[in-house]
Amino acid sequence: MHIHRLEKIWIIIGTAMLVVFLVAIGIGAFAMGNHPPGHTSAIKLDPEKVYETPPFDNPGLEKIGENEYNAYIVAYIYGYNPGNIEIPVGATVHFYVTSADVVHGFNIPGTIVNMMAVPGEVNEMTYTFDEPAEYLLLCNEYCGIGHEYMATTITVKG
Amino acid sequence: MDARRDQMESKQTYNGNKQEHGQDEPLKGTFASVLMLGAFIAVSWIGVFLLFLYRS
Repeated sequence: MHIHRLEKIWIIIGTAMLVVFLVAIGIGAFAMGNHPPGHTSAIKLDPEKVYETPPFDNPGLEKIGENEYNAYIVAYIYGYNPGNIEIPVGATVHFYVTSADVVHGFNIPGTIVNMMAVPGEVNEMTYTFDEPAEYLLLCNEYCGIGHEYMATTITVKG
Repeated sequence: MDARRDQMESKQTYNGNKQEHGQDEPLKGTFASVLMLGAFIAVSWIGVFLLFLYRS
């Protein structure tokens, strides 16, 4: 099969770009643990029994190390349980998020924390809060009539 | 019009079994367009990726 010389060049460039993109996605997925919510979480729960299933029967912060926390958070119409979280500056927080009813969003603007809260699934993300500030935590998946009021704050104290 | 004529001529040359001669010309514009589109995609992707790294 004859391929034009210039066609060969752009096929090579296009394939190289694809390889770079896929390698970056692969590193993100397998080395950094970025994945969509699914049955990959260690925590299994029945979506109708969220508040009876540990650790979501006692939502909140759990200190697991020096300035390192697990945050178990339940999204519901129209808020987050617990709301108004306070953590010290420099804290690394592992968020474990699920929903008690419909699909919600879990987004802290200005950071990479942006995921879905899906009933029956636990979504995870780790973030280190290096700047003392009041971070907004809001829902960015339309979830019902009160969606626009679904927000709370994460206060990072210096 | 000229480009079209070039292409026709190139095709005739191709059909005339002179495969190695004069067939790079008509794809130069396409090549430039492909590179520009590729550069746009690469720059957009790298921009978003840097934003991700900066915020993480």
